[in-house]
Amino acid sequence: MSSKKGAYESNASDTDFRKKFDRAEYAAKASVREAAEKEESKARYEAKLAGKKYYKPLTGDEILTSARASRLDVSANVGKMVLMPAGAATGKRGRGAGFYCKDCDLTFKDSVQWVEHENSMQHLRAIGQTGEVQRATASEVRERIERVWEALEEERQQDVKSLGERLKVRQVEEEQDREERRRKRKELAERKLAKTEEEARIKLEYGEDVRVEGEHDEDDMMASMGIVGFGSTRK
Amino acid sequence: MANHRADEKRFLDERGSGGPLAPNGLNPATIMEKPVRERIIDCYFWKDQCFALNEADIVDRVVVHVKFIGGTYGDAQRPSPFLCLAFKLLQLGPSDDILREYLDFGGEKFKYLRALACFYIRLTRQAKNVYNLLEPYLEDRRKLKRKTRMGTALTFIDQFVDDLLTKERVCATTLWKMPKREILEDLEVLEPRISPLGDIEDLLESDVEEMDGKGRDKSPGSEFGEVTPEREPGEMDVDKGANEGQTMEAESEVASGKV
Repeated sequence: MSSKKGAYESNASDTDFRKKFDRAEYAAKASVREAAEKEESKARYEAKLAGKKYYKPLTGDEILTSARASRLDVSANVGKMVLMPAGAATGKRGRGAGFYCKDCDLTFKDSVQWVEHENSMQHLRAIGQTGEVQRATASEVRERIERVWEALEEERQQDVKSLGERLKVRQVEEEQDREERRRKRKELAERKLAKTEEEARIKLEYGEDVRVEGEHDEDDMMASMGIVGFGSTRK
Repeated sequence: MANHRADEKRFLDERGSGGPLAPNGLNPATIMEKPVRERIIDCYFWKDQCFALNEADIVDRVVVHVKFIGGTYGDAQRPSPFLCLAFKLLQLGPSDDILREYLDFGGEKFKYLRALACFYIRLTRQAKNVYNLLEPYLEDRRKLKRKTRMGTALTFIDQFVDDLLTKERVCATTLWKMPKREILEDLEVLEPRISPLGDIEDLLESDVEEMDGKGRDKSPGSEFGEVTPEREPGEMDVDKGANEGQTMEAESEVASGKV
């Protein structure tokens, strides 16, 4: 048998499971990348010759830098444990223990270094900002003042309202407490009254003969021990 | 419209060369002294909260962070947020319109914003404008907290403005030597100022009449020696003698003052 088909009657060769690469496409990609790299290294070299620091050329869609809206919260991770790869935490490059900047792939050990990095041109370019700030006009300043003032006023009002509400809630709670205590007191008094009434009623029905629970216990015990009395006529 | 740089590097590099000057002809980068400037640039508040501010963000920062005025405070001589923001204003160089917003509209609501704007105006504006812009706030009696290296003290906006107009050194900054108000009045640059208290001569006259039934002329301050002018002679001999001694002192003061 000189058929090419194997035992399973298929035309597949024994390496067909491998991915087939489009060699032309990858060659084109590589040439583009190499050209870009060459250009960058040339620009770097020229910048170095001119005694300047090299920055990536702006693409044109950078945004303006704006003021920080929040402060770095250093207390958020207190008490947390994070596993670090064994090779981490040597130098700034890569992810390690500390403040990690994922845009620049750098790790910083303290907040001053971190904020200095955030202000640096390297970082601003990496997140696509120009490092320039929009100038504000007088009307914008007025608008901002109004906004800040309104926010403060609102906060103040909410504070007052919540305090009032808290007081109201507390008042209701106290009222309920007092009601509960009054009810308990009344119940206790009623029970006592009922008990005395009951005793009085029993005594009234049977006279002195009745043995109220516990009333003659002492006499009984003394009698059983042979002591009738100390000769006193008083009972 | 031109933009600001987010950081202070170019502002400080241009000192003495290309940068624009303040309206009073000083270089804004050198108005504050070098040690203070370096402390400001080194401090965390500057790096964290003064980065990439514009004129409107200044308002936010003042409202949230400025709780007292002062230069450097504490043993470490940390620069106050007030001083850091003043330095930021020197970098931004806001226009007169914006300063007016800070002073009037914002100043009515936020006293520290007014104080900051007054300080900045004193540092950068011409003498005439400084007097014209600051003098209305000699009637603002709101309290301010002031921190120094020694401790904290209570002051008022009018007192702060008066310090700015008359003193040489305020908030760790040596203020540029401004011509006195009288000189500017003589040169007819400024109108004579009408004090909200009224005319000073009238005030002194009325004081004298109130204090002294005989209408005797007194130097200002002599009223401290004349606490009980209505007392009848011969009522309390011992006290009267002491009182007379004080009056004689006051009279000698008057005499020396008149010469």
